[in-house]
Amino acid sequence: MKPVIKMILIIFLLGISSTLAQSSEVKVRVDGLSCPFCAYGLEKKLNDLDGVESINIDFEEGLVVLQVTNSENISEEEIRTKIEKAGFTPREIVFSGKNEKPDKDD
Amino acid sequence: MTKILYLLLISLPILISCKESGEESADLVNNKQWKFVREIKIDNISPTGLQTDGEYLWISDAKNNRVIKTDLDGSIVKEYPDIKRPMHLSIYNSKVYVPEYLTDKIKIINGDEIEEYPLKEKPDAPAGVFVNDSLIAVVDFYNHRIILQNENEVMIIGKEGHKKGELYYPTDVALVNDKIYVADAYNNRVQVFDYNGNVLKVIGAKDKINVATGIEVTDDNIFVTDFEGDRILIYDLYGKLIHIINEHLNKPTEISVSNNTMYVSNYAGSSISVIEQ
Repeated sequence: MKPVIKMILIIFLLGISSTLAQSSEVKVRVDGLSCPFCAYGLEKKLNDLDGVESINIDFEEGLVVLQVTNSENISEEEIRTKIEKAGFTPREIVFSGKNEKPDKDD
Repeated sequence: MTKILYLLLISLPILISCKESGEESADLVNNKQWKFVREIKIDNISPTGLQTDGEYLWISDAKNNRVIKTDLDGSIVKEYPDIKRPMHLSIYNSKVYVPEYLTDKIKIINGDEIEEYPLKEKPDAPAGVFVNDSLIAVVDFYNHRIILQNENEVMIIGKEGHKKGELYYPTDVALVNDKIYVADAYNNRVQVFDYNGNVLKVIGAKDKINVATGIEVTDDNIFVTDFEGDRILIYDLYGKLIHIINEHLNKPTEISVSNNTMYVSNYAGSSISVIEQ
């Protein structure tokens, strides 16, 4: 294979892997979030998870939205365990792509 | 005649009960000394902590990871950024003590400088702090306890639970007259301890507080925020409820009293309520 073609192929493959590693969103419904001390406490605990880029918690809606670098590295079980250890009850967990429109009624 | 006596006998307990209830509400009305006077708007800020030195307000803006200093009309005078989720504040000797919830540190705002207080025992999510002459008390939210530290030693007050003397997700603390007053948030009450960790009093357990997030103690009164109930409950130092404020509050988090003026941070209202005596 010619060096130029090889280089193009490598760049193409790097591009694919970078796309796969793009951040995605995980939405979690949580029971028991009553006040900012709870909400920021849960944020503190979820920050320990690998690959978490940002966390947004709406305690009035009971909705936690995680931006993660690669959702394949985080399991639903891990998230549930973290939330339970923080003193709350996790309900449905939805993994979705970064650009998917958030829906509060999930 | 027997019938009349019988009726009197039946109605006596009811009459007594009505009188007692009437006395209680009359007592609350008679003590209604605090009146809402104005609201200070602090747009786009959901305050988690508040203290005043009488001249300025110090506000924890947890959402934006900063503490702000405003004048008494809410105009920002100075901003202290990069404080990770600041919570209940304490002012002592012109220094502002800030619990940094995300990093488990206590930061000190000293003029333009920000220092770190050397804690001997690490908390997990410090929700509140109180400093006096020789002591610092730190509310250790996730370990359900108060860390009391002086120059030489550390004392642990409380442990997880719901019984007398136990704490469940405490959020605020005050040290006044050699007593430790704890906002025992998710036990919906206040508990008072001595410096040896003995519980002296439980306050507000029957007053239907729904998350007791903040506490302020003066020479005469104990003020408690009822976060979900949108109320301030005011007790005397014996723990007797003497007044309830339930207007112009929107998810109150903390109270600071200075010169007969009470400032209350409204988390959902993005405002400070000013209530005067």
